[in-house]
Amino acid sequence: MKKVLIPEGLVREGIFKSFKEMVEELASSRELIIRLFIRDFLARYKQSFLGIGWIIIMPVIIIGTFIFMNKSGVLNIGETSIPYPAFALLGLTIYQLFSTGLTATTNSLVNAGSMVVKINFPKESLIISSIAHSIFDFIVRIVLVILVFLFYKIVPSYRAILFPFLLIPLIFLTVGLGFILSLLNCIVRDTTNVVSLLTSFLLFLTPVLYSEPKGMLKNFTRYNIISPLINAPREIVINGYISKSNEYIVATIISFFIFLFCWRFFHLVEPKIAERV
Amino acid sequence: MEDRIIKFEGVSKKFCKDLKRSMYYGVKDIAKNIFGIQANTEILRYDEFWALDDVSFEVEKGETLGIIGPNGAGKTTILKLIAGILYPDKGRVEVDGKVGSLIEIGAGFHPNLTGRENIYVNGAILGMSKKEIDRKINDIIEFADIGDFINSPVKYYSAGMYVRLGFSIAVHSEPDILLVDEVLAVGDEEFQRRCAAPKIRELLNKGITIVFVSHNLGLIQTICKKTMWVEEGIVKKMGSSGDIISQYLLSFEKFPDTAIISHYGPIPISKDAEIIDYGILDSKGEQINIVPIGEETVIFIKVKVNKKLEYPHFGLTIKNENREVIYHTNTSWQNVKTGVFKEGKVVNVGFKQKIILGEGNYTVSFAVSYCDGISFCDWKDEILNFKVISRKKIEGILDLNSEIILREN
Repeated sequence: MKKVLIPEGLVREGIFKSFKEMVEELASSRELIIRLFIRDFLARYKQSFLGIGWIIIMPVIIIGTFIFMNKSGVLNIGETSIPYPAFALLGLTIYQLFSTGLTATTNSLVNAGSMVVKINFPKESLIISSIAHSIFDFIVRIVLVILVFLFYKIVPSYRAILFPFLLIPLIFLTVGLGFILSLLNCIVRDTTNVVSLLTSFLLFLTPVLYSEPKGMLKNFTRYNIISPLINAPREIVINGYISKSNEYIVATIISFFIFLFCWRFFHLVEPKIAERV
Repeated sequence: MEDRIIKFEGVSKKFCKDLKRSMYYGVKDIAKNIFGIQANTEILRYDEFWALDDVSFEVEKGETLGIIGPNGAGKTTILKLIAGILYPDKGRVEVDGKVGSLIEIGAGFHPNLTGRENIYVNGAILGMSKKEIDRKINDIIEFADIGDFINSPVKYYSAGMYVRLGFSIAVHSEPDILLVDEVLAVGDEEFQRRCAAPKIRELLNKGITIVFVSHNLGLIQTICKKTMWVEEGIVKKMGSSGDIISQYLLSFEKFPDTAIISHYGPIPISKDAEIIDYGILDSKGEQINIVPIGEETVIFIKVKVNKKLEYPHFGLTIKNENREVIYHTNTSWQNVKTGVFKEGKVVNVGFKQKIILGEGNYTVSFAVSYCDGISFCDWKDEILNFKVISRKKIEGILDLNSEIILREN
């Protein structure tokens, strides 16, 4: 297990050879990922009263606001095939998988602090354990969604079992962007703020809390790859089919490419960034 | 199998003094790399400097290398290159084995988690599996010696406990190469002496390789056979620890003098304390230099303190006519706490013993060291002579004064 370090050594590796290495490295660090996940999980809730309750409070408040605005006639939500709270909550839950995932991964390297500069370990594990947190939050929120569905006596389509699989592209996109953003955050700390700004903006620009938009926003939505990645899983639960499967497939392919490119980029660049943190 | 476990070949590493510019250079280099252009790492840009410049050395398996040098000399940079945290800008680093680093102890500890929880996290970071940790956790806790605190958050730990836990995890991760960076200095002396040093020796017996950075020259000398002296990014000297350390000490103004030690060579001395008088007293308190075997004697020195000294050590060495060391002892080995001595004080130190040496001529050497036990205020080599005589016939180097028992069956 001889390791040779030379300047630019990493850059000279072949693309496919190094992908194999990257996968092997990730596989060998799965215990570390689990440990980091447990560590952050324990640390997060040790000094908290409401604990995982906080995961649910956020979406409830956002949707409450939307219902309130809709009832007051300030906001036109549009037609939804199932009662609005159920529709919005499911969409928001999926969206938050993306937004919290992006925030967590962006901060993961910087938050690890001196660990990054003082210990040599696969830094990918920090990103992966962060996304695992968002997935955990997501699962908790899904429980809330199920309760709301039960309350309105909505019976989802049997195709809803495909729901978790349809989320995979969204997760890959989040991790991919997280790879780049976490590095960027090491260089400029503004990244954190930009990401939180961007995710709250995108929430309003993507048909998550409202149905299909018209006019200018419709044109934007067409190029917004988040939109099909969120709406396809939601439609499969509510209607049992995906109305714009072409868009979803294109978005999926783009997501996978973004993921592969960003992972590779992260792998190459991380040692150079880490030394400057 | 090749025995070389670490090899540096003309390794250079540069850093940038300005944070923003450093980031800018980093991004620029990365951008070049992405487009397949070799970033020119071999020249210095504005605000950059060589933290290491053309460093070459090798470490063989099972060896211990000490690295000494002033702050900012590049010692930690060398460790980080070995650990694979940094990449060289020039040259080539080869490392053959699993590296366990104690570059910063407790890096990765989460303050809110308990010691026990942190053992699992830190162990995983150091590459241990859960099974492995389950198996070793009791040893780790026992060695760290933190008692019930193991179930408290580490933020409530004292600095010493923190270090002990971190050290314990690292040594139990069974690396091929252990990098130790000044961390032991934080732990209390007791822990250093009772636990850390023996554990390191135990690891050495198992064939582990250790690279040890410390300002504690005493620790370096006891643990490392070879020492490298780094200054301003270059290797100034490398060789046997005793040799390099004394040359290193000599480079300070603090040690203007040298004492030539017959079996050792030149040793730098500071004259912060001076041995002004010495002698042998018999049981009646009279000064003698012919000692009958079996005499209760006190060998004494008078030490004048020229500069305030905290817990210095006093030692003596008795050599025979062939200049072989017959006996050496000092206050450190005898666990004598000496105290703090103010400038101008004269300290009387007596070593009381029964002389059981065989007949012949002997010399005594005296030394006064700082509390580290390795840098010296004064050393008087073979300064006192005495002769041992016997009233009966004996042969050999000792008189055990055997009692002879006769019995008939």
